[in-house]
Amino acid sequence: MKNSLKLVLAVVLCVFLAGVAGFADEYILGIGFTIFMYIALAQSWVVLSGLTGYISLGHVVFFGSGAYVFILIWGLVPVWLGVFCSGIVVGLVSLIVGYPVLRVRGPYFVILSFGLAELVKNLVLINEARMYVSMRPVFGAPALYQLYTAMLLLAIIATGLTYWIRRSRFGAGLRSIREDEEAAETIGVPVAKLKLLAFAISGVIPAMVGAIFIMRSGIFQSGDAFTPIVSFTMVTMAIIGGSDDAPGPFLGVVFLVLLQELLWVNWPEVYMIILGILLLGFVLFIPNGIYGWLSEKYFGNKKNVT
Amino acid sequence: MLLEINDIHKKFGGLVALQGINFSVGYGETLGLMGANGAGKTTLFSLIAGHQEPTLGSIIFEGQKINRMRPDQISALGIARTYQIVRPFRGLSVLENVTTGALYGAHKIRSIKNASKFSREILEDVELKDRAEDLAGSLTLAGFKRLELAKALATGPKIILLDEVMAGLTPREVNEAISIIETCKRKYNLTVVVIEHVMKALMRMCERIVVLHHGEMIAEGTPGQISEDSVVIKAYLGEQN
Ligand SMILES: Nc1ncnc2c1ncn2[C@@H]1O[C@H](COP(=O)(O)OP(=O)(O)OP(=O)(O)O)[C@@H](O)[C@H]1O
Ligand SMILES: [Mg+2]
Repeated sequence: MKNSLKLVLAVVLCVFLAGVAGFADEYILGIGFTIFMYIALAQSWVVLSGLTGYISLGHVVFFGSGAYVFILIWGLVPVWLGVFCSGIVVGLVSLIVGYPVLRVRGPYFVILSFGLAELVKNLVLINEARMYVSMRPVFGAPALYQLYTAMLLLAIIATGLTYWIRRSRFGAGLRSIREDEEAAETIGVPVAKLKLLAFAISGVIPAMVGAIFIMRSGIFQSGDAFTPIVSFTMVTMAIIGGSDDAPGPFLGVVFLVLLQELLWVNWPEVYMIILGILLLGFVLFIPNGIYGWLSEKYFGNKKNVT
Repeated sequence: MLLEINDIHKKFGGLVALQGINFSVGYGETLGLMGANGAGKTTLFSLIAGHQEPTLGSIIFEGQKINRMRPDQISALGIARTYQIVRPFRGLSVLENVTTGALYGAHKIRSIKNASKFSREILEDVELKDRAEDLAGSLTLAGFKRLELAKALATGPKIILLDEVMAGLTPREVNEAISIIETCKRKYNLTVVVIEHVMKALMRMCERIVVLHHGEMIAEGTPGQISEDSVVIKAYLGEQN
């Protein structure tokens, strides 16, 4: 009963947000686009890093690769099919790349994930230089309200996916890997397979987000498409919101985007400082994020890791 | 025979942890494994459960050679082990710990709902029912040991390898643990191999005991025979007294 009420509320919210596309101005659509983009990214990050504990600091690699695949096939296939294909291609490649990458754990994985994003960025740069391209404009992209709606759809799918995985057999396996990989294997969890699946799933939506993003920015440039800031931002949002379940990233994104709107306009110079302090504070004192803290305080769920 | 250990050797660099170990375990049996610190008992469990590979020899489970298989594959065959140094999933609830075993072990109960139901039953068996919703990290040592047992049981094993599940417990807790193990053994049709330093517990529970000493098997027999075996008394009981 309580669950069905939540579902109704979620549907009403989604329909309302989709309806907004019809009449809102560019500014509102722009903010909506950014919020949905980061919800989709942070939710995807949670599938890998939140659930398995393999903290990725290089998730932009999926975003940038998706954008790159998309720009390469731009004009050759219908736009939305192109978006879809970038997600699939990146997901499939992740299945191969993830295999060696996921063999290292803990801080080594964090560093490796960051390095991987930088590596791919430079490979793309080299490839572009070889073809004498420094940037690729995107002409004739769909209107903002369409991009807004597409991003909304990705945010909904990503949130639903995280919500569903978190409650599934798959998710139970992933969370046991986070807690103790060897003990998980002992009770039958096929850890290598599950990690790899999580890695690939975690990359598909960010790749599509990347594809849509360059239609909004109107240009593909590898330096921008693979910027670490995107990685850091989604990690920060997921951690501040709570990275063990779908409501977390949602709260984190809304909180940070609003904060950003507030601070960026008035005191842009302190924005990064405040972001850093917040991240530090949360990691140290509220490791379960806003959602973990709320559910412990108000719903009596004992989620706090002590 | 359910489990056969054939001429097992294990070396860690220059250190010989096990050599020439030979014994088998029959269906429904309770076999004790004893030996002083560093005798190689835990290492033997690690080999059976697939965490390490023997340097030499083979391990046969229900006619199938299992050394070289991964731990999760071995679990799926119906072999469960507990850890001497407990390894709970601290950040998950007690129930979630057990449910994961039910979802992935030999049972392969696919739905969360059925797995939770089955897991609650197991928590009742090991007398942890009241703590089901608590974080596993909040348990006491006795609680951790029971959780190890519950996780292993949840996988639906044919054989369960218990590594010092009674170490560090008070005499009363030891008695409770023994009766829990015996009840579960009957209820779930288990074969049990138990490592224990608590001699009395071993004598009470086991039909047969294997004694390891510095990686070698020095005796095998009924508890009565073992307690009178001069080699064992000299090598092991002598040290203890
Ligand atoms: N991974 C390893 N690498 C190197 N040496 C090891 C390893 N595991 C165990 N050993 C060594 O092998 C020997 C047997 O250890 P094991 O843990 O099997 O003994 P045990 O009989 O379980 O002892 P205890 O009663 O203390 O638990 C010891 O000397 C130990 O130091
Ligand atoms: Mg041991």
